[in-house]
Amino acid sequence: MATNQLPLAKKDARLYMAFMYVTYTALLVGGLMGLLQTLARSGKYTLPFNINYYTILTVHGVILGLVLTTFFIIGFQFSLMEKTVGISDKQRKVAWLSFWVMVTGTIMAAITILIGEASVLYTFYAPLRAHPAFYFGLAFVIIGSWIAAFVNFRQLYVWKKAHKGQKSPLLAFMVTINMLMWFIATIGVATSVIIQFIPWSLGYAETINVLLSRTLFWYFGHPLVYFWLLPAYMAWYAIIPKIIGGKLFSDPLARLAFILLLLFSIPVGFHHQLTEPGIDPTWKFIQVVLTFMVIIPSLMTAFSIFATFEITGRKKGYKSLFGWFKKLPWKDVRFLAPFIGMAAFIPGGAGGIVNASHQMNALVHNTIWITGHFHLTAATTVILTFFGITYWLVPHLTGRRLTPRLNKLGIIQTFVWTVGMTIMSGAMHIQGLLGGPRRSNFSEYAGGEQVATWINYQIAQTVGGTILFIGILLMVYIFIQLTFFAPRGVEEFPIAEEEKNAEPTPKILENWYLWIGITIALILFAYTIPVFDILKHSPPGSPPFDWPIGRG
Amino acid sequence: MGKENPKQHQPSLHESTHSLKGTFIAVMLLGIFILVAWFGFYALFLSR
Repeated sequence: MATNQLPLAKKDARLYMAFMYVTYTALLVGGLMGLLQTLARSGKYTLPFNINYYTILTVHGVILGLVLTTFFIIGFQFSLMEKTVGISDKQRKVAWLSFWVMVTGTIMAAITILIGEASVLYTFYAPLRAHPAFYFGLAFVIIGSWIAAFVNFRQLYVWKKAHKGQKSPLLAFMVTINMLMWFIATIGVATSVIIQFIPWSLGYAETINVLLSRTLFWYFGHPLVYFWLLPAYMAWYAIIPKIIGGKLFSDPLARLAFILLLLFSIPVGFHHQLTEPGIDPTWKFIQVVLTFMVIIPSLMTAFSIFATFEITGRKKGYKSLFGWFKKLPWKDVRFLAPFIGMAAFIPGGAGGIVNASHQMNALVHNTIWITGHFHLTAATTVILTFFGITYWLVPHLTGRRLTPRLNKLGIIQTFVWTVGMTIMSGAMHIQGLLGGPRRSNFSEYAGGEQVATWINYQIAQTVGGTILFIGILLMVYIFIQLTFFAPRGVEEFPIAEEEKNAEPTPKILENWYLWIGITIALILFAYTIPVFDILKHSPPGSPPFDWPIGRG
Repeated sequence: MGKENPKQHQPSLHESTHSLKGTFIAVMLLGIFILVAWFGFYALFLSR
């Protein structure tokens, strides 16, 4: 196990940096596609070289939503596991295997999309059909991530065997929860891809059960967003306290929050399908109730973060009610970027509760409000926290330092991102409430009266999108500097410690059989009857559609 | 009186923590924001 100050061995750092190279390449490519989308939707710009709008929309969603996130998370988590429980030579080799399997899948899917053979968006809803290579590519990315998950499980298992009776390090526990959730959730989408999509896209099966495929996708699709969020929570709980000069607020609270997120992230996919006609409303209601349970660990997290800030400030001697807040290290980008991410999660979370409420879902379903929502949660909360991690993780891995100049540039980047996203996501939310659709290319829809109210918001999205792209260029520049050019030195890997007199963590929080058992029981409860209903009562399956979007 | 066990007298985290009044107010404001947002959008739903 490496300590927080000492740099990692080169062979380890190389592995984690490999994941970071893919992450920041994905950011550049995916971000450029986002810029092109907002330009096209302004109605004042035509895509060059006859590029199909839905091709770039698919690249944007797949590259940022699936590739960037998965690579960053797995690379970051590997570094956390090494720092807390260590990695063996054999585990490292298998970790490299996971990387290359994921890269192979990414290249297959990316080429298929770029040549216009998979314009099916990142949700790849049937009956839109992509070239089989797209589905095989996705399957490889998932299989690669499973290999990483099992390496992580093995890392913790080996540590536990060597440290009998001790509680596992908090960050290793959190990584294990996240990868468990990911593994259980991806079984759904993998089943759909392997049993439904691949035979259908190859022509072996004439039709596909659309409702079943969408249900299996959202069984995976909601935990997917928690798979993005939990690494941000890891940083908020266990890294930010160290950066601000404090201690962990509560180890048991953090573990309980992660367990609740494991339990309630998966049996909730129906809240993405509230307008789906083939699902019994009773089961939608049950899954909405389970969705609302996720609010509990989210609010526990908010409480814990505020408390960490307040206790740290009071220990430094600030006595007034909110004096501690003013004295947080606002000039340290390692804190500022994740903090803005946290702040964005307040409207993001409130919007999420609106989306998951059945009646109000009718207000926003399939509107660009939803796009605005996940640009607040994923593209602000999660991404700004990932940027915040990058500022210390990359120099730690490359043996360089975050210089005051790069720190300042990072602060500028954070402000640029905040301004760009406020404009873009704000405009998307408002346009959504006015009925503006998501996903679709620019259209005047034969000149409808309501449509005329949308255009100014679409132009605002172009402005916001352009500012965000400047933010992406800045971030990629900072990443290159931290990787190749910043001065040599030692950058700390900040991991918060517990208070010396902290209450002991109850052993039950590490009873994996119990928590995995309850997770599976909840999934079986929430999905068994509706899935049987779907299998029994579905309308005839659909043949593939390659037009107007899909292939060619 | 026997010798005091220093372990017993070491205050636990919760005894020794500083005031969390600011945290209490902050989470209450957060809760109010969520409720106001929810009822606001519910009113919009009803009005349509």
